[in-house]
Amino acid sequence: MKLILKPISAVTVFAMIVFGSAYAQVTPKLTDPEIASVAVVANQIDVNYAKIAKTKSKNADVLKFAQTMSDDHTAVIKQAVALVTKLGVTPKDNAVSQKLLSDAAKTKKQLNSKSGKAFDKAYIDNEVAYHKAVIDAVENLLIPQSQNAELKKLLQDVVPTLKAHLAHAEMVQKEFAK
Amino acid sequence: MKTSLKWGEIGFRYIFLLLFLYGCATPEERAIKVPVSDSTVSNPVYSGPSEPQLHVVEIKDMKFQPEEISVKKGDTIMWVNRDMVTHCVTEENKKAWTSSNITAGAFWKMVVEINSDYFCAIHQVMKGKIIVE
Repeated sequence: MKLILKPISAVTVFAMIVFGSAYAQVTPKLTDPEIASVAVVANQIDVNYAKIAKTKSKNADVLKFAQTMSDDHTAVIKQAVALVTKLGVTPKDNAVSQKLLSDAAKTKKQLNSKSGKAFDKAYIDNEVAYHKAVIDAVENLLIPQSQNAELKKLLQDVVPTLKAHLAHAEMVQKEFAK
Repeated sequence: MKTSLKWGEIGFRYIFLLLFLYGCATPEERAIKVPVSDSTVSNPVYSGPSEPQLHVVEIKDMKFQPEEISVKKGDTIMWVNRDMVTHCVTEENKKAWTSSNITAGAFWKMVVEINSDYFCAIHQVMKGKIIVE
């Protein structure tokens, strides 16, 4: 009898990132108020990374990318806040939001310790990795678990924006690979 | 004979009045009157085979839809931003023309003269093409 090994799912990977490998088998269960919190926190983190880039970078492509991240993620937060206000939902803090924030604090520290080209490379590398992780989380955790149809639709609408950001970040990243 | 002249005069006055009122509108006001619906995309608005046509390109899900559009010289293309983020439409090779920012829900239009490769300068992976037949 052949042993069939299932490929590791993206949700499991996200669970590993969020909760550590000891809890890899546990997929976090989130309510709509918690999903709203994760969505706002995840967007705000990238706005904050952009803020650092705008003060530290002198590279035109990096600065332009950072401005786009700041504008777009602010626009997404605005839409999310408008929706939860309409639905009467109060975003609720949770383990996933907390983990995102504590990881972001470490990343911010690393970014602030660098300068010049080393900073630009670190910022763009992180943007590529961060957008990959967020796309994975939105597609495999937040969308499947959201109960409200409008919340689900907002999350679905955000995915193409995140994917365009990832492709844009990868384009800028090539500049630093030379 | 007398009656037909009278009707002719009324018709002339009516056309004059219509042209006068149209002339009072700013280009923006005229543009707003153009219906923008899903049916506009598949059926461009036009008034005759020799008249310049209006084509609509939707900016949706971070894509120009359609990405490639064939038009006649003198036709107008209207880009409508259906996304929640700001976009723009900019000629790619020489930055020969640009819409500047098109905010969520807004639109921009341009009379087409030549073939162009264009992109969104804000999201540089978004690309489109205009072919003048």
